[in-house]
Parts: sequence; C-alpha cells; structure tokens
Amino acid sequence: MEQMVLTKLGQNCLQALLKTWLDFDLSITKVPIVKRLEQGRLSIEDYQQLLLNLRQQVIEGSRWISRCASSFDRDYSDVRSIVIHHAHEEHKDYLMLEADYIATGGKQETITAFKKNTGSEALHGFLMYRASQPNPIDLIGAMWIIEGLGNKMACKWSKYINEQFSFDTEITSFMDYHGENDENHLLELYKLIDRVATCQKNIDGIIRTAKVVAKLYQLQLEEIDNV
Amino acid sequence: MAVYINSTGRYLPGKAIDNEEIENVLGLINGKKSRLKNKILNSNGITKRHYAINDKQQTNISNGEMAALAGKSCIESSFIAASKIQMLSCATSQGDLVLPGFGSMVQAELNLSEVELHTSHGICSSSMMALKAAYTNIKCDEADNALVIASELTSRLFKRSRYEQVTNKAVDFNAEFLRWMLSDGAGALLLENQIRPTGTSIRIDWIKSFSHADVYPVCMSVGIAKDNEHKSWQDYETYSEAEKAGALMLRQDVRLLENIVSIGVQGFLKLITQGKVEINKIDHVLCHFSSKYFKSKIFDMLETAGASIPESKWYTNLYERGNTGCASIFIMLDEFIKTKKLKAGETIFCMVPESGRFNCAYMHLTVME
Repeated sequence: MEQMVLTKLGQNCLQALLKTWLDFDLSITKVPIVKRLEQGRLSIEDYQQLLLNLRQQVIEGSRWISRCASSFDRDYSDVRSIVIHHAHEEHKDYLMLEADYIATGGKQETITAFKKNTGSEALHGFLMYRASQPNPIDLIGAMWIIEGLGNKMACKWSKYINEQFSFDTEITSFMDYHGENDENHLLELYKLIDRVATCQKNIDGIIRTAKVVAKLYQLQLEEIDNV
Repeated sequence: MAVYINSTGRYLPGKAIDNEEIENVLGLINGKKSRLKNKILNSNGITKRHYAINDKQQTNISNGEMAALAGKSCIESSFIAASKIQMLSCATSQGDLVLPGFGSMVQAELNLSEVELHTSHGICSSSMMALKAAYTNIKCDEADNALVIASELTSRLFKRSRYEQVTNKAVDFNAEFLRWMLSDGAGALLLENQIRPTGTSIRIDWIKSFSHADVYPVCMSVGIAKDNEHKSWQDYETYSEAEKAGALMLRQDVRLLENIVSIGVQGFLKLITQGKVEINKIDHVLCHFSSKYFKSKIFDMLETAGASIPESKWYTNLYERGNTGCASIFIMLDEFIKTKKLKAGETIFCMVPESGRFNCAYMHLTVME
C-alpha cells in the first residue's frame, strides 16, 4: 500500500488510531461471545444473538453519521460531503443484517422489536451527543474503530461462521458486504485524517473519541451474553 | 549502571543444508516425499539451514554442547577470562533433559565456576527473557557481567520416525508445518557493565516485552494432541500412548498465526506512544520474523499505521542460517555486528515475536564510541 497519509501530524494521528484499534482488537478477542466465535464454539443461538444485538446499533448508526454531517459548517463543507456519502452508503445496512437473521431461522418481528442492549444504549448515546457538537471532527476516531471492526467481521468472523454452520441461503451478507466496501471507506478516512489532523488538539480529540467508542463497543459485545 | 554487549558468538552444527537435502537428513515420512515442503519453503524464503542430526537421524551434537560452543566462541573474542564470568543465563525451547534446567547443563559443559544461574523456558522469545534477566542483574549492580546463551535443537522433533509413530499415520498440516521452518543452532552474547575498546561495544538501552496469553489460545506447542487440547502428554497412561496420540509433536496452529503480526505492531506502536522509540531515529532493524511471508505482512501493517521503516534498514540472516527459534536473534546479532561497519551513535531496534501463546519482545541498542 502506498503512503496514504502525507502530513506529519496526519501520520501521528494514524499511528495513534491504529494503536487504539489494535488495543480494541485484543480486548474484544477476550469477550466471551467473540472467544466462542473465533475458537469454533459458537452456537447458532449465539450467532442469532449477535445479529439481534448488532442490528440495533447498525440501524441507529446511520442516524449519528447523518447528524454528524449536518453539524459541519461551511468551513468543513468538503468533510461534510464525504460524511454524507458515508451515511448514504450505510443507511440501509441493517436490511442485510435482518436478512441474515431470518436466513438462520429468526423471525422478522423478533429482530424488529428487539431493544438495544445497555452497551448499545451507551454507544449510541455517546455518538449522538458527539455528532451534535459543532464540527465534530473527533468522530473520525469513531468511524475508524467501526470500519476496522467491519473489516474484521468480513475477513475473519464471516469465515469462522460459515465453517461452523451451513444454511441454504447466505447468513453472513452483512459481514461480507463490509469487507467489499471497506477499502473505499478506508481511503476516505485517510483523506479525512490529512484534512482534520492539523493540530495536536484535534488529534487528541480524535483519539479520545476512538477510545471511548472502542470501550462502549466492547460493552455492547459483552452485554450480548447478559440480554 | 549501563549495560553493554561486548562480545558475541554463534555455533551452527555441520554443513549448511539446502532445500533439496532436507529430507535426506530428516528422513522421508513413510518413505514418501512431502507434498507440503516446497509450498512452505517458497513462503518462508529459507534456502539454507543446519541440523545437529545426521542422515540416519542420529544426534551428532547435543543442545547443551552447541550452547557451550557458542558461549566459548563468545568468551574467546571477549576481554575477560571464563573464570571471571559471574552469571550464566540460558534459553532453549527444549533442553536435552527434561530436568534439570538447561543452564545447569550448559554451565557444566562450559566448566564455569560458581556462576549465578538462570534458565528461561519458552519458545522464540525465551532468549530475550534470558537476556533481560542478565541485563537487569547487571543494571542493578548484582553482577559485573553475564554470559547469555540461546540454543535450539528442534530437528530431533522432525525425524521421520516421530511422525511414523502417530497411530492414524496421516500427518496433518499443523504438525508438518514447522518441519520446513525450524532448524538448529546457538548464539551467545557477553554483557558487561563497562565499555570495551572493541569498536562494537553496544549499549542496551532497554528491553521490553508484552505477552498476550490471556487473549489467544495456544498457537505453537508440544504436549497436546490435535483434538484434545486439555489432555497433556503427562496425562496419558504411558509416554508411548502420548506419542501414538501425537501429543509429542511440535505443532503450529497456522490459522492463529496471523495474530502475530498485529500483536507485533501493537507493541511497537505502544513503545512509540511511551516515547521509548522514535521511528526516524532507528538506523537498523533486526526482526526475528519466521518467514518472508510474515515480513511483508509486518511491512504492510506498519505502512497502514504510518509507521514504516525503510526496507534498507532491515537486516536478517534468516534465509541463509535458518530459523533457529530463540537462538535466531543472537545468531542474527552476531553476524550483523561482525559483518556491518557500525558507527558510534547508530541505533538498532530488535523485535522477537513468539507465536507460542503470543509474546513479543523488543530491544533498543546504541553503538558506543
């Protein structure tokens, strides 16, 4: 891969973001349901629970990204365009997730009526709060963590799940789709990093938000076993 | 108290064995050529290695003897007599005996008197643990010097007869994988609390490691059979039953192996964050990667992180000397120091990732006047 981030501050930001992602990756590997998934001990009920719980955050996900876009003023109109594009691309992801759930034998009414778990509540609450601030550039940290997880789902989790279960129709379209689109999203994120990581204060904000989102996402995954 | 590497040594048994000759030494499993061999060798890029066993799979030289020869060559090119050595710190993944500790056997072989002894046990990073024990001992004024030796004799695990003993005969990928990766050898470093006018006195700035055994399952092991991850080789009625079950084979869970790249980079970024290392001040990188394949993965991830180090700064002798497990980093340092014209002030960053249960060790060195 050629060097995507060109400025010195951008590089610092990128290093700190990747470090935050790798810390998050290690932490969630210890979450019980993730452990079962990655060690070949996932039950179909586990996978259904995973989808049920993820869906609530995914369906809300497009809301915070849309709000985030609308919070950028004229000085950040270029950033706003990228974020709008991102929001548009993802705002119907939850439909794929629902189709996967139904393909595993789940019922539409169950997934539609399912409530956010406590981790999802906290994650969504934090994201909406940050997205409502003026020019919320720190949310690039949130996008980095969530994109990274999308990539992990597509490259790793989907394979493990398909090795453990066989159904007539596809049950991992949501996870797989994230892998296909991720490279474009990643390129957009690289562009954004160069654009907004222009001072240490901005970088600190991005990293702090990345860390909070990572922690709350972990809570969301942990809470799956407590629903 | 600053600690310096003032001498190095290595011992590689017998002649270099090229890729075509490997099966002449290790033997053909059930008389058949391996189907995996070329695929794995192409991926790891190793072209030559050394074995301590002969073509009848008999041991020519023990692990302890190899360690002693590396230690001897290290002492002989140093400023001090063997009788002045105060500490001996040794590492191996499998000594000749199960007990006592490997260090005792090496001490006897070297005929060193009344040294303080340390043995560290593990896989690739155990040499860094042995080095750290010696380094901290000198640093806190408990010793003036220490001889650190890492040695491996894994070829004994790769003899054809080992695989032929397994009851169901079919040797799976994970059991065969390392047969084409690892080989034998020993390396040694002499540490002292003073600079010597060698021209290559090298200060150890720090040694740090991060272990992730709490996160991942076992990835490289001896002692468990394929399908029974909780039953240890010692839990079988007899040792021969353990062998028949395949519990004594050296195994690598290849699928888990990819995690080594991300934990390696994670630790590196952590050290940057802690201010222990600055990328643009690193002059040389010595990384114990097990194969060409993983080197490119590490490169890619460092680039993604905006933390890449130009390829011209990376040094390895993996392809010509083989992957000798924990001994690799010392064998690499020895050849690097002896063949490169190092200048005072240059910095060397070393990295030793271990896939056993995911430990990654790092070290920062500075060349002295």
